[in-house]
Amino acid sequence: MWQLAKNLFSAALSRKKGVVDFRQVFEHFQTLLRNHQTAMELIADLGEKSGGDYIFDRKYLSDSVQQLQDLLLHMIKSLNLIASNRYAELYATLDNVFLPIEAELKGRIALQDAPYVVHLTDDLFEAPELLGGKAHRLAQVIQRLRLPVPNGFVVTNKAYHRYLEYNDLADKIHAWVEAWASGEEELERTSVQIRYSILAGIVPPDLFREIQKHAHKAANSWAVRSSAHGEDGELSFAGLHESLLNVLPDQIPEAYKRVLASLYSAESLSYRHQMGVLGEEPAMAVLCQEMIQSRASGVIQTSCVDPLRPDCLTIYASFGLGRTVVEGKGEADTYFVEKYPPHAITMSLVSEKEYEVTSAVGGGEEETHIPQRRQNEPAISEATIQLLAKWGVALERYFKRPQEIEWAEDEKGAAWILQSRDLVLSKSADRPEQDVCDSCASYPVLVRDKGVVAHAGVGSGKVFVIQSNEDMKKFPEGAVLVAKYTAPWLAQVVPSAAAIITERGSAAGHLATIAREFRVPALLNVDDACSILTNGTEITLDTHHRTIYLGRVKELIQYELLQSTVFEESAEFRLLRRLLKRIAPLHLVDPHSPDFTPKGCKSAHDLIRFIHEKAIQELMDLPSFVHRFQGVKIWTLVSEVPIDLKIFDLDDAISPDVEGDKVVIDQVNSPPLQALWTGVSRRDVWSTEPVDLDLRGLMSSLTRNWDAQGQGASASNFNLAVVNKSYLNLHLRLGYHFNLIDVMMDEEPRHNYIYFRFVGGVTDITRRSRRAQLLENILSRYHFNAVTKGDLIVARLLHLPKKEIEHRLQVLGALIGFTRQLDIQLRSDDDIERFVQEFFNRHDQLARSLS
Amino acid sequence: MTDKRLRIMILDDEPIVCKRLKPALEKHGYDVDTFTDSTEAMNQIQNTAYDIIITDLKMKGIDGMQLLTEAKKKSPTTEVIVITGFATMETARESFHKGVFDFIAKPFKLSEIQEVVSRAEAKIRSR
Repeated sequence: MWQLAKNLFSAALSRKKGVVDFRQVFEHFQTLLRNHQTAMELIADLGEKSGGDYIFDRKYLSDSVQQLQDLLLHMIKSLNLIASNRYAELYATLDNVFLPIEAELKGRIALQDAPYVVHLTDDLFEAPELLGGKAHRLAQVIQRLRLPVPNGFVVTNKAYHRYLEYNDLADKIHAWVEAWASGEEELERTSVQIRYSILAGIVPPDLFREIQKHAHKAANSWAVRSSAHGEDGELSFAGLHESLLNVLPDQIPEAYKRVLASLYSAESLSYRHQMGVLGEEPAMAVLCQEMIQSRASGVIQTSCVDPLRPDCLTIYASFGLGRTVVEGKGEADTYFVEKYPPHAITMSLVSEKEYEVTSAVGGGEEETHIPQRRQNEPAISEATIQLLAKWGVALERYFKRPQEIEWAEDEKGAAWILQSRDLVLSKSADRPEQDVCDSCASYPVLVRDKGVVAHAGVGSGKVFVIQSNEDMKKFPEGAVLVAKYTAPWLAQVVPSAAAIITERGSAAGHLATIAREFRVPALLNVDDACSILTNGTEITLDTHHRTIYLGRVKELIQYELLQSTVFEESAEFRLLRRLLKRIAPLHLVDPHSPDFTPKGCKSAHDLIRFIHEKAIQELMDLPSFVHRFQGVKIWTLVSEVPIDLKIFDLDDAISPDVEGDKVVIDQVNSPPLQALWTGVSRRDVWSTEPVDLDLRGLMSSLTRNWDAQGQGASASNFNLAVVNKSYLNLHLRLGYHFNLIDVMMDEEPRHNYIYFRFVGGVTDITRRSRRAQLLENILSRYHFNAVTKGDLIVARLLHLPKKEIEHRLQVLGALIGFTRQLDIQLRSDDDIERFVQEFFNRHDQLARSLS
Repeated sequence: MTDKRLRIMILDDEPIVCKRLKPALEKHGYDVDTFTDSTEAMNQIQNTAYDIIITDLKMKGIDGMQLLTEAKKKSPTTEVIVITGFATMETARESFHKGVFDFIAKPFKLSEIQEVVSRAEAKIRSR
């Protein structure tokens, strides 16, 4: 009786657990894979849209986000069906990831989560609304252009709101401004009232602590500047807000209040009134930067004041701190410098400088007299002039507008960028005299209507073709990067490139993402680019018309600099980039990391990755897996290769006419598996030097039989390929390492990918790590994006045509054999390169196909 | 005729569409006026004949269909290109019998609209 009850109970329990049968599991798995594919394409699409080649509106963004959320919901459902609801937690994760995305779409920037203080090197998050214009730009100069900017932190707009709230000021200020706007109150009185009430306020203790923490960490003396939202952007508040130099750490909270108050100076109020933005609630972020004790300082204008020198930029320089030039307080040296390398100085005018501004002891500034003998000396050297010119060009290229840049040179002679804002030009400069369309027609065209746009824009420079890693070091600043493939390692020269042109690659790939991040115009998939474009030739790329001109098309470059919108700065693009930051980055790379959990999913991509990995793991969860195999047709591959491989056919890869349960590779109509097997079957791959380990033991583990009924299967020697005509999912346990390959290979390059993961080995971690490095080395030559962590390597490759995927699968096949026991022989780091060479020597045909 | 620059009107209530299209078409040698308010656009076509009108369909107030009907009535030789989101694709197809030259779905590539505009130009110039 007791036994019966027990049986009934366990039967009920197993029903409740609901182990789904194998075919159903794979149906869910395939649905999951399809949704995975669609979701990845959707993310790629969104990335592509951020490149400026498309015109889209907010509706497109909200539709796409909705679609992505639906796909993820379905994926979570599929995974839970496969895994008997063990991942129900993911529903909450989905909400956590998408709530802020929805908030962004509704225009509510998630300020409630924003910090009071951020460092200039913290993640940008595309939020000038938080940092204000000036600080946001400087953060870009540091993080994107990597130019020297004094270290510093920003007291954010969130802190501004906190300050108002703590001192109960928001409503009062609003009422005062209203009264002035409706004519009930005078400007001066309004301004004084508001400024006085802000200055009389108290910095909230939590904010005070945050500020002090940063202020005492680094410098002894700070520059405290305004960074209002909109400042240095479309609206120029130049000089309207307060900037305080040489502020001691303890004085920062008071200086902070003074800068906040300047938001309501009479000038600032009437400027906002004139510009029609008085109705919008202003906010003030405050930038605190380490003080540069400058021996010289000044301004660069990347557009020349002299109309006869359109190819020059202007540099003004004076002794001491920046106020002399910026506020026009004294005489400055003036230089006209050619914008193009080698930046020849076409005119220099050294003036007589009587005074300089210097830091006063105990804080603040003072004006001092310059000794007679120094008055007529140039403030800076020729080398500094040329360095500044180079920076000016890079800044203009990035911000896509003529720039006005404040700079300083410290006592040691090092130069610094203090700020960079759009240069306000006179209206007459806006309209080029000649029609740009006619001007372009006079330049020879090298390429027309070819390629896909990864990032839109116009870029000009000398061609530099990159063929190998060594070429990268020689890449000149401002050259046009030309390459055959969009290999991930090209990323390091992107910030210095004026434009990018490649023969292969997709607008959804890694290099395209990097090009967008650094705003470099990029045209990919241009047939024969490497032969049409020769080293040193000066060219101009115009992605708007997918045209490459011979020579520098000055009129076009000028037109671009003056046109009404920089698309990267438009609200829609910024919104898209903010959305992408919550959608596209992949943080969960290593499935063995402790963060590889639903909680660890920070982006939509993380979620997709997590679900995909767990779904695959579910299939590989052997005890329940074997249970599921009952009644399912599993084929055994008959081959000379010492890998005992079982095949599960998802649909129609193996003809129904085949009898028995054994097949040869020709009978498996799965091109990805066949390609891999071609590589695995190369005669030389299994004959590395004899290893002094128990080879027989190894071979026996490799060839041990596997019983289709599940009897005698053990987790350590299970090799399974799940296939159909365009898909391969392969799990290999060869000896002591574990290898997973997941491939999609069909006619549409956008669908295609290879995912390769390899971990483990028989030796100590050092040697196993060497093998991972060796794999990374070889795979990156085949343009994989490879990341290693200890003995784990994960390599990915996206969007290549079928033929190229096929070729790389052969390489992977050869590598599987070649590296299988190689860790034992990697006795020193030097062996890595030796075996890389050995691999390419043996596979000279593969090696040749690299070039 | 061939030397005369073609006049193009762009109407879309999403300012980004106008901001992006205008310079792209100007560079091709067209004269471009942009509108984000359909009432203003309607007023404009009362006294100006455009060679090509590029318009969104769904807008507050006067919608794209009303505008294109009026434009065709005023100036039958004006070619109208409709831009629209996927949701209104069916309506867009219907617009064909109102003599619309072509329609294009958002989001679109600059090169796609340039291609449609070139075809419309060819048709106009061949008259």
